[in-house]
Amino acid sequence: MLRGSLAIWQRDMLILRRSIISELVAVVAYPLTIYLAFGIGMQSYIGLVDGAPYSMFIAPGLITMTAVSAAYNESVWSLWFHRRVQFTIESYRVTPISVSEIVIAKIFTGFTHGIIKGCAVGLVIFTITPFRFPLEHLLQYLLFLIPGSALFSCAGIISGTVMDKPETIGKVEAVLVMPLIFMSGLFFPLSSYPPSVVSWVRALPTTALFEGARRVLVAGDMQSLAALQVSLSAIVAFVAAVCIFRYKMSE
Amino acid sequence: MATAAIVTRSLTKSYGELTALDSFDLEVEHGSIFGLLGPNGAGKTTLIRILTTLMRQSSGDASIEGLDILRSGREIRSMIGVVSQENSLDRYLTARENLELHARLHGMEKKLYKRRIDDLLELMGLAGRQKDFPDTFSGGMQRRLVIARALVHQPQVLFLDEPTTGLDPQSRRAVWEYVRSLAGSMTIFLTTHYLEEAEQLCDRIAIMDHGRLIAIGSTQELKDRLSGATVYEIEFAGQDADHYAALLGAMPCVIDLKQVENKIAITLECWECLSEIVTALNGVPVRRISLQERTLEDVFISLTGQKVRE
Ligand SMILES: Nc1ncnc2c1ncn2[C@@H]1O[C@H](COP(=O)(O)OP(=O)(O)OP(=O)(O)O)[C@@H](O)[C@H]1O
Ligand SMILES: [Mg+2]
Repeated sequence: MLRGSLAIWQRDMLILRRSIISELVAVVAYPLTIYLAFGIGMQSYIGLVDGAPYSMFIAPGLITMTAVSAAYNESVWSLWFHRRVQFTIESYRVTPISVSEIVIAKIFTGFTHGIIKGCAVGLVIFTITPFRFPLEHLLQYLLFLIPGSALFSCAGIISGTVMDKPETIGKVEAVLVMPLIFMSGLFFPLSSYPPSVVSWVRALPTTALFEGARRVLVAGDMQSLAALQVSLSAIVAFVAAVCIFRYKMSE
Repeated sequence: MATAAIVTRSLTKSYGELTALDSFDLEVEHGSIFGLLGPNGAGKTTLIRILTTLMRQSSGDASIEGLDILRSGREIRSMIGVVSQENSLDRYLTARENLELHARLHGMEKKLYKRRIDDLLELMGLAGRQKDFPDTFSGGMQRRLVIARALVHQPQVLFLDEPTTGLDPQSRRAVWEYVRSLAGSMTIFLTTHYLEEAEQLCDRIAIMDHGRLIAIGSTQELKDRLSGATVYEIEFAGQDADHYAALLGAMPCVIDLKQVENKIAITLECWECLSEIVTALNGVPVRRISLQERTLEDVFISLTGQKVRE
């Protein structure tokens, strides 16, 4: 049943392999700049946050941010490009595979981009800092990184399916996606929010993702409920992405 | 008798208020080359999109090789090849990889598709460029690659939506040759704006406009359908053409008369009237009298009331 998905995913991976060096340089540059500027440059002014040096405090968030925005961007732009510019989706649709196979392939591609790019940034950060996270924390961190990347890949697929214009895609990213990531406690602890706001912020799956990821990586404090929330959100987003794409294609 | 390769019954598609396809009835015989002609916006692409399962009709039915398009989408897609109006090539894959991906989507074994792709690249004259990316190709080469892609899985029915639009005359002829070489081995359904293309390639031609089928038949049948009247062009020497036009215009057997400088085109009721004309023109300095052949374009204009836009 997933033969078509596999063929399309392998096509996407071939393209990624061909440009892997430039992709990685581009994707590492941004979080690394932030890391050097804030984590190292501002560290002595900020001191300890939640008991950790600031450079350590923001490291998990930067890795997670890289992964989820890479997943989102790949999915949204790839789907838009193949649907509206290159019409490749149409060329897939006249072969004996189902529409679901196409969208599943695209979700996996975005997810793979997220994981690979997140890991690349993680490796760079670990290389330039003295912090060594225990293997156990790293493995538990995957319980956030994997569903988080899946969630954002699905969100990207939904955006790329419903939005026909590139400028709309850019606006949604600026107005919705980036604020969601930054608001979820990437650079500051949630305790900085006024108490009336904090319960709202906590309800967001992005908060569960970024908070949970940091806690488990920095302190080994595994927030199972948060991980569950991210996973459930990813499943809901997956079902929604498949349905929305199928609906759009049947129009 | 086996059912026709393509059958549509009262096929209708509306986009909101607009009826792009209006109770369309069509049958396309196995192994034939069928041409669908129509001006811009006639509904040609809409029909192809419905038949290739990319879009659902609003009402009516259609079948390909006896299979209903709504119920048997997957089976139908496994036996059709589609060349869409836009090229839809993957510019990040080489020519060969484009074909390979398509073969894999059709579930072909590697052993099988490797040879098939070699053959097709050779046939389409692209073997030397198979490792290049399609955006380095000329328009004609890209079109040939799309056709090759549609043929990888050896379809039984091939749909070509304006296969030669935008190509120069040489490339167009090259595509015609490829299409003609396929004739008989599969059913071919093509749309075009070019009357010459339909005339050269197709066994049967349908003309449509505003979503409706307005005529169907072989080129000859369609030409014969024009009124029995015949048109002659008479060219005069000297400057007195106006005078002769008045003279001819007054004759009862002349149905219609058009004058351009010293040339007059007259439409006669029947060819037998020609001798009357010749008698009337006795002594007049006639340089030439010629019979105007009916072209498919005349048929087209008389049916759709407009020239074909290219
Ligand atoms: N997705 C759509 N939504 C609304 N109207 C559409 C849509 N697609 C096509 N139409 C309309 O349906 C009519 C038929 O369009 P279609 O593309 O089938 O024509 P065509 O014969 O292929 O024209 P062309 O020769 O320009 O390719 C046109 O009036 C067009 O504007
Ligand atoms: Mg069209």
